[in-house]
Amino acid sequence: MDTPTPPTFWMPTGASTIAPGVDHTLDVINWICYFFFAVILALMVYFVVKYRHRTGERFRTDYPHHNTPLEIGWSILPTIIVIGIFVVGFRSYLDIYTAPKNAFDVKVTAQKWGWTFQYPNGAQSDDLYVPAGQPVRLVLRSSDVLHSLYIPDFRVKRDVVPGRYTYAWFQCDFPTGQPGKEPRNPNAARVEGDLDEAQRHALFCTEYCGTGHSKMNRYVYVLDEASFGEWMQKQSRWIDDIPEDQLWFKAGPKLFARCSQCHSLDGTDGIGPSWKGIVERVKAYPFVGEGKRYGTWEDYVRTSILVPGDYVVPPYANAMPTFKGQLNDLAIDAVIGYMQHLDQLDPKTGKLLPTLDPETAQPRAAGATK
Amino acid sequence: MTTIPLPSAGPVRDTIEARPEHDNYLTHTRGVLSWAFTLDHKRIGVMYLWSVLGSFLLGGIFALLVRTELLTPGPTITESADTYNQWFTLHGAIMVFLVIIPSIPAALGNVVLPIMLGAKDVAFPRLNLFSYYLWVTGAVLCILSLAMGGFDTGWTFYTPYSTTTAAGGVIPVLTAVFILGFSSIFTGLNFVVTVHKLRPPGMTWFRMPLFLWALYATAIIQVLATPVLGITLLLLIVEKTVNVGIFNPAMGGDPVLYQHFFWFYSHPAVYIMILPAMGIISEIIAINSHRSIFGYRFIAFSSIAIAMFSFIVWGHHMFTSGQSALLNTLFSAISFSVAIPSAVKVFNWVATLYKGSVSLTTPMWYALAFLFLFTIGGLTGLHLATLSTDVHLHDTYFVVAHFHYVMMGSALIAMIGGVHHWWPKMFGRMYDERLGTIACWIIFIGFNVTFFTQFMLGSHGMPRRYYDYQPEFQVYHVISTVGSYIMAFGFVLTAVSLFGSFFGGRRAPANPWGGRSLEWQCASPPPFDNFAKAPRVGDCYDFSVVHWDEKTGGYWVDEPADPEVNPSAAPKAAH
Repeated sequence: MDTPTPPTFWMPTGASTIAPGVDHTLDVINWICYFFFAVILALMVYFVVKYRHRTGERFRTDYPHHNTPLEIGWSILPTIIVIGIFVVGFRSYLDIYTAPKNAFDVKVTAQKWGWTFQYPNGAQSDDLYVPAGQPVRLVLRSSDVLHSLYIPDFRVKRDVVPGRYTYAWFQCDFPTGQPGKEPRNPNAARVEGDLDEAQRHALFCTEYCGTGHSKMNRYVYVLDEASFGEWMQKQSRWIDDIPEDQLWFKAGPKLFARCSQCHSLDGTDGIGPSWKGIVERVKAYPFVGEGKRYGTWEDYVRTSILVPGDYVVPPYANAMPTFKGQLNDLAIDAVIGYMQHLDQLDPKTGKLLPTLDPETAQPRAAGATK
Repeated sequence: MTTIPLPSAGPVRDTIEARPEHDNYLTHTRGVLSWAFTLDHKRIGVMYLWSVLGSFLLGGIFALLVRTELLTPGPTITESADTYNQWFTLHGAIMVFLVIIPSIPAALGNVVLPIMLGAKDVAFPRLNLFSYYLWVTGAVLCILSLAMGGFDTGWTFYTPYSTTTAAGGVIPVLTAVFILGFSSIFTGLNFVVTVHKLRPPGMTWFRMPLFLWALYATAIIQVLATPVLGITLLLLIVEKTVNVGIFNPAMGGDPVLYQHFFWFYSHPAVYIMILPAMGIISEIIAINSHRSIFGYRFIAFSSIAIAMFSFIVWGHHMFTSGQSALLNTLFSAISFSVAIPSAVKVFNWVATLYKGSVSLTTPMWYALAFLFLFTIGGLTGLHLATLSTDVHLHDTYFVVAHFHYVMMGSALIAMIGGVHHWWPKMFGRMYDERLGTIACWIIFIGFNVTFFTQFMLGSHGMPRRYYDYQPEFQVYHVISTVGSYIMAFGFVLTAVSLFGSFFGGRRAPANPWGGRSLEWQCASPPPFDNFAKAPRVGDCYDFSVVHWDEKTGGYWVDEPADPEVNPSAAPKAAH
C-alpha cells in the first residue's frame, strides 16, 4: 500500500503495518454482530406483533416448552463463532505484541503531564519523531503514576507502569512531514486553528493520571530515513548551538511549554505557583540568602527543578516531577534567564513579545512588519 | 408430623376484594420509628428502594454535569479539570457502589424474594436491617468525603495515583466502599440461607421462579467476591496511611497487583449487577407473554454457570497493563466462554415470545428495551474480548459505551422495569401506563443517542476520562450530550408516572399482570406477614389457569392444589 488506509465509519486512518489486520478483525466481528443483532431484533418484533394479546382474550396454550435440538444448536453455533473470533484476534495480537529484532529503540518517559522521547544519540523531544519504513520499539517507563501510551492511527496502546519497563512497537511506512520549526503543543495549536497541517498522528495518554490527563497528548511525526537522521542530529544539540546570552528567549519559551501545564506567567494560580514576580518572591524567602539553606535565588530555582520536594512552599503540594536527566545546565540557565525577562514575554503564550525581534530580542526597527 | 394449613377452596380474588382497606405492611404499624426499627423485609426493601433512587438522582446529576462539560472542547461549565475529574469519579462511584450493586438484590430482592419463595421473611431479619444501616453509613461517609476534600481517583482507585493524590476524601471514600461491601455481603448471606432453608413445602428448586435463581446466583458472588474488595481497599488504606509498600513501586510495591485484586472483585461485580437483571427480565417476559419460559432449566443453570465463570475472567480488564501475553491469551479465551450462556439466554427470551400472548404493559416495554440494549452490550463485548481489537479500544469511549449498555442499558433498565412490575404490589396503586410507556420510549431513545455515539467516539480514538479533547470529536460529544438530556427528561416523566400513582392512581388488584408466582397470590400491598393463608405452590409458569377479571381489572388464578401438599384437593383442578 502507498498510503494509509482512509478513515471509515468506525475507524480512524490506519497508518501502521498492523492497522489493516486489526481493522479486518474488527470488520469480521462487526458483521457477525450486525447479523445476530438483526436476527434477534427481527424475531422479537415479529413475535411481539404476531402474538400480541389484548386484555380479556384467552391465552394461547399451543406453545413449546423447550426444543432440545434447537437449544443444542444455538449453544454450539455461538461456541464455534467465538472460537473463530478468538483465533483471529489471537493471531493478529501476536504480531502486535512481539517487536521485530531489528527495531529502532526510542526511550519514552511519561510523567504528570507530558512525555519525553529520548533517541539513541541523546536527542530529546516532546513530540514523537520516528523513521518511516522501519520498526520502532518504544521502551516505556513512568516517573510517577500509571499512564498509557496510545496512538489511534497505529492501533497501538500500552500502559506505562512505574517501577517496570513495558514495550510497544509499530512500523509506519508513510512519512508525515515535519511541523514548523518548533514542535507544537497540540492544545495551543488548536487555538491557533492550524490542526490540518501534515498528516501527523495524535498520541494520547489513556490511563487516568489526574489534573492534566487530557492535556497529555502530543503528535507523532514520521520522517523519511534521511530527514529523520538529520532531525535527530539537529535535535541532539539544539540548545548547545545557542549563545549563552540568547538562551532565555531562544530556548526558554520552548522549555516553558512543559512548565506551562502547572505554572502561569500572568499571575493565575495553577497546580504550582505563577512565575509572575517569582524572582522577587524567591529572593524574599527567609530560607534564601547568604548563609541560609539556599545561598542564592538561582540555587533555589535549580534545586526545585532537579529535586522538587527539597523545599516546598505552602500552600502548594509536592506535585512536581523531577527534571533531573532531562534538562542540562544550559537548559536550567535558560529557564532562570527566562524568569528574569518576564516583562519581555507574552504572559498568555509564553513567547517573546511580537514587538521584539526574535533574533536579538531587541525592539524591532520602526515600520518593520511582523 | 404437623399438619400444613390447607388452602381453602375457591378463587383467590375473594380474599382480597372482600377487604378493600385491608391491613397491609405499610399500614400495619405507624410512625417513623416503626420504619426505622422494622424487621419486615418489605419495609427494609422499600427503604432501600428510596435510598437507591435518591442516590440514582445524585449520580445522574453528576452524569449530566460531565456530559454538559463535554459539550465543547476546553472549559465549558468549569474552568478546572480537577472539578471535572471529581464529577466523573463521583458519578462512577455512586452509580456502581450505591445504586446498581444494591438496586435489584437489596431493594427489589428484599421486597420480592421472601414472598416469591412463600416465606414470611428472610432468614435473618435483624441482619437485614443491619445491612441497610451499613449501606446508610457507607452512603453518608461517601457524601462526607466530599466535604473532606473530595476524591478524583476514578471509581477504580488505581494506585499509585489514588495513594498519592492531594484530594483529601480518598480514605473516607475507601472506608465507605469497604462498609458498603459488608452491607452487600450480609444481603447475599441472607438470601443464600433464605433460599436454602425457608422454601415452603412444594417449592422445589425447579419450581422456583427464575428471579429467585438469579438472586441466588448473585448472592453467591456477593458472599465470595466482595471480601476480596474489602481486603484490597484495606491494603490501600494501610499503604496510604502508614506507608507500607504494597502497591506503590516507590515503596517496593506493584501497581499491577492492585489491578488484579481490584478486578478479581469488580469483574464478578458486573454479574452482581446483570444476573438479577436477567432474573427480572425472565419474569417480566414470561408473565407478559403468559406462557412458560422457554428452556427454564437452561436459564436457571446458566445463571449459576455465569456466576462461576465470572470469577476467572478478571484479567480481560488488563490486556494492555503489562500482563504477560500468555495470561492475556488465557483470559481472552475464557472471556469468550461467558458469551455463550449469555447468548443462549437471549435466544431463550426471544423464543419465549413465540406463540405467547404478549401484553405490551409498561414493564414489558422495559423488557423489550432490555433485549435490544443487552444484545448490543453483549455483542460489543466480542470486540473487547478479542485481543488485537481490544488493544485499540481499551480505555477509550468504546469501553465506556459498552459498559453503559450493560450496566445502565441492561441492569438499570431491568431495575426500572422491575420497579414498574412490582410497583402495584409494593404500594397498592397503579401508575399511568400510557405515561409510563412513553417515558420508557424516551429513555430508550435518549440512551441510544447518548451511548451509541460513544462507540464511534471510542473506535476513532477518544480516550476515557478526558476533560479536554480535540475538536474533531466535538460533533459526537454534542450528540451524546443531547441524548443524555433526552434520557434525563425520560426519567423525570417516569418519576411523574410512578409518583403520580399515589395521587388518584387506581387501586391495584392483587394480580395486575396475570402472574403465577406467589407474590401475585397475596394482596397488593401484601399483608404484614405476607400471606393471609398459606400459599399454594404450583408451576409458576403455567398460565392456563390464569383468568382475567373485569371487575377488579386484574387476573385471578384458579389454582389446582398441589398433590404433594394436599393430595385430597388434586381433582379440583378444572375450572
